[in-house]
Order: sequence, then structure tokens, then C-alpha cells
Amino acid sequence: MISKWVGKRMVMGIVVLFIVSFLSFFIMQAAPGDPAAAFYGGNAQTLTAAEKERITRAYALDRPVAQQYIAWLGETVKGNLGTSSKEGRPVSEIIMERLPNTLLLFSVTMFFIIIGSIWLGTVAGMREGSIWDKGLSTFSIATSSIPAFWLGILFIYFFAVSLGILPSSGSGDVEGNGGVIDKISHLIMPASVLIVTHVGIYARFLQESIKIENSQYYVKVARANGVTESSIRKGVVRNASIPYLNYIAMTIPSFFGGSIIVESLFAWSGIGQLTVKAVTTKDFPLLMGSIMVTGILVVITLFIVDLIMYAMDPKMRKGGAR
Amino acid sequence: MIEVRDLTINIEGKHITQHVDFTIPRGRITSLIGESGSGKSMTVSALLGMLPVDAKVSGYVMYEGRNVLDASDQEMESVRKQDVFTIFQDASNSFNPSVKMGRQLYAFSGERVGDTIDVFNEKMKLILDQLGLAWDVVEQYPFQLSGGMLQRCMIACAFYVEPALLIADEPTSALDMVLQKEFIQLLIRLNEERNTTILLITHDLDIVAEAAHEMAVMQQGTIVETGTVETVFSNPHHAYTKRLLESRF
Repeated sequence: MISKWVGKRMVMGIVVLFIVSFLSFFIMQAAPGDPAAAFYGGNAQTLTAAEKERITRAYALDRPVAQQYIAWLGETVKGNLGTSSKEGRPVSEIIMERLPNTLLLFSVTMFFIIIGSIWLGTVAGMREGSIWDKGLSTFSIATSSIPAFWLGILFIYFFAVSLGILPSSGSGDVEGNGGVIDKISHLIMPASVLIVTHVGIYARFLQESIKIENSQYYVKVARANGVTESSIRKGVVRNASIPYLNYIAMTIPSFFGGSIIVESLFAWSGIGQLTVKAVTTKDFPLLMGSIMVTGILVVITLFIVDLIMYAMDPKMRKGGAR
Repeated sequence: MIEVRDLTINIEGKHITQHVDFTIPRGRITSLIGESGSGKSMTVSALLGMLPVDAKVSGYVMYEGRNVLDASDQEMESVRKQDVFTIFQDASNSFNPSVKMGRQLYAFSGERVGDTIDVFNEKMKLILDQLGLAWDVVEQYPFQLSGGMLQRCMIACAFYVEPALLIADEPTSALDMVLQKEFIQLLIRLNEERNTTILLITHDLDIVAEAAHEMAVMQQGTIVETGTVETVFSNPHHAYTKRLLESRF
């Protein structure tokens, strides 16, 4: 049963990755500009038409897009993401340098967002009509409508410019030894921007979900029959967290989108910043590589969330309705 | 055992019940009968101290010499825990869908009376056996059992707890005819074997005829007739009761 379910999810994930690669490859071709120019970076203006044509032919950029896509796909499936046209190094090498930073930022922010929103959401949801309940509703609207880049600029102004206690950008000091404290001091600002702008909305979702669960028939029956409040609560929170997890899963892709902006703002050298750089330099192999890695991260995260939901929801496990 | 006097419930300016008077004598099955929307369920909520927050209530519900309408939330919680067991209409939604039955039955019975899980296992096994339920139900989730089985699980807890008062709020309206009969027999058994006082809320006169000793007829938030089942059936006074009895055959 479980192996069949896992197999199905994996096939679905692979299909998603194919669609992502197909769409991004073709949309990328529609962008204005000449990909051949990317090979010369800043000196592109000095290129003559003949040189451009030579590059175009050498890298098979004149072939039909479908043919290029198939060639790219064939190599990617074998694990070869190609060579960056700007840096001349293998794409996988560049990505592997960046991946740990993105994973660090993602896992730290997700950890605090989940812990924070579960705590806030449970406290607010369980005390309907209390100051917590009303306060969280306001707080979540306020924080989720603050643009992350603007909050980031404010943070830089306060903590880096005025107070000078935190570095304004980067993911490690140039002169630093790459130690833990150095890493953390660079991580604090981008992570807290992401946490502050996301925790409220997730908490609010859980709060609403708990309130709905609290008004369920079985809760009334349990209260009427003197079932202890703590075991009622446990049941309510558990059931309410299933739609909450679903919501997290639904918003993971846009969360990655938001983190691209934050990574660029703080020059956090992760996949997000790399993607932006690849777009501006028209470095297509690198862009495809970073899109695919982001896609794989999303698919894996969704798979983990699904696994947790599967473990928590007996209806799903027993193949019942829902 | 319970005396309801002049009970008036008012929600947002609307009278749900008005001057409701009836008694639940100890050791008897008292039936509260009326059409849906007549205020039966709200009366039950008042007895349990579980009215919605915006409800205004006046009158008396005397239980063991004190008015439960004045009791604090904590007092009511302990009354609900120690003296009363309530079976609701919709058995299939009465249990948490993602917790195994065994855990939930324990919360409804053993845990209430302070038994350990071992004592519970032993005692509940006997009760389920008597009620024709296999012990495997404890390993299953509510959605894997039928409504009839779930309602029997509920009454199994009532057998376990042996409450001073059992309130059954339309316990059979979600069950088919055969299961209804079976369930009513179980209620009668509980009353006869353990001398449990039962308040049976229903809209079905057949059930009243079959099970109850006393009855109170409710219409549009007021009690229009009370008495023993025999006297009301043989000599109804109020027009509504007469109509009910006529429509029965």
C-alpha cells in the first residue's frame, strides 16, 4: 500500500519536473536578445556579426528549439547540466557551490516559520474571542502585506547602517574564516525577513483551521461527556494540522519565488541569486540548471509534506473518502 | 431527580423555549417529544450547561438540590464528567475521525471514572461482547464502522460509566428500523439492569410507546402536556398531542 503510494508520488514528481523543464526552455527562447552574446559578457558590444555567427553555429544555437531541448534533456537525464556560457565552468559545479547556502536559508526559515506559526496559531485558535485571537488576525494581515524587499531595506538601514551590528549583505565575510558565527551573522537578516513576512499568514491559516475543528460535532460530544480538555485539544490540533500542512505544500513554490528576491537583496549567494544572475546575463545553461534544481527542491519538499500528511491522516492511509 | 422549572432560553431576542416545566424522576425513562425546532436540543444544552455564549437563560434546573443554571463552568464540567452521559444523534460524527476507537472509548469511559487502561480493556471487552460487538473495533477508526456500530459503541460507554443520568438526544434518528429497535432495547436494558435514569429526546411516538415511562410533549418552545405514557396515550388533552397520536396510526 505505502510503496504503491510512494511510487505514484514519485512518478508525479518526475512528470512535474518534465513540464517545468519544457516550459522554461521554450519561454526562455522567447526572451529578447542573443544568447550568443552571453559568451562575451560585458564585451558583447564589440562582437562582429561574423563572430556572433561562429559562436551561434559552434554551440548549435541556430538549430530548432525542439532539437536543442531534446539534446539538453538527453544530457540532463544523464546528469550533465552543461557548461555555463558566462563562466565556462560546469553548471553542476556552480550549483553545488550555491546549494548549501540555499538549503541553509530555506531550512532555517522554514523551521522557524513552522514552529512560530504552530505556536501562534494554536494559542490564538484555542482561545476564540481573546486578545490573541484578534491580535493574530491583525498581525498576519499587517506582516503578509509588507513587501519582503522593503522590509529588507529597512532592516539593512537599521541593523547595518544605523546600528552597524549586522553585515548588510553577502553570505560570509571576505576576510572571515567561514566560521559558524560569521555565517549566522550573515544569515540573521535574510532569514528574519522571510520569517516575519510569512509566519503570520501560516499562523492565521492554522488558527482558522483550529476554530473550524473546534466547532465540529465530535468536539461537542466529547465536551458533553467530560472528556479531558487536554485530550480534546490534542485531537483538535492534530486534525487541524492536516489542512495546515496542505496549505504549506501549496505555498512552497511561491515561497521559493519570494526567497529569490530576498537572496538578491542581501546578496545571499544561493540558487535564487544565481537564477537572477543567469537571467540578466542570458546564461541559458546555468538558468536551466538552477530552475531544475529549484524544481527538484520543491518536489522533494512536497513529497516530504505528503509523507507527513499520509502518516497523520488515517483516512488517507486506509484509502477511505477524502 | 431533575426538576426543570420555568426554563426560558433566549438567543438574540428570539425565544427558543418559554416557561418549560417538567421533571425527570429517578430510575425512570422520561421522554421529551416534539417536532424538530421545538427547542428540545436547546433544553438539553441547558441541562448540560453547554448553551451558546450569546444565550440568555432564566428559570431553574434543579439537580440534587441546586440550580445547575447558576453553577460555574468548572462545577458543570465535573457534573458532566461524573453524573451524566450524553448520547447524540449523529453517531458517525460523534468520534474524532483520526483517532482509533480504543483510545476514544477509553476517553469516554475508563478515563472518566479513573480506571487504568488495563482495567478498561478487561471491562470494556465484556460490555462490547454483551452488546454484540467484536473487540477488534478498538483497533479501527470511526469511518471504518457503521453508524449503528458507532451508536452501540456510545451506549457501551454508558454501560461502562453507569451514569446517574443518561441523556439520549434523538439517538436513533440516523439508524434504520432494525437498528432503532435494537438500540431502544439496549436503553431499556440499561434502565432495568443498572437502574439508570434516562432522558430520551425523540420525535418518534413509537419509540416513546416502546421505551418510556413518563413523557413531556413540547411544541414551539413550550411544554404542552406531561404525564405517564399510559395516561397521555389514553387521554390526551392538548390538541397537538391529539394530532401526534392520530398521525401515528
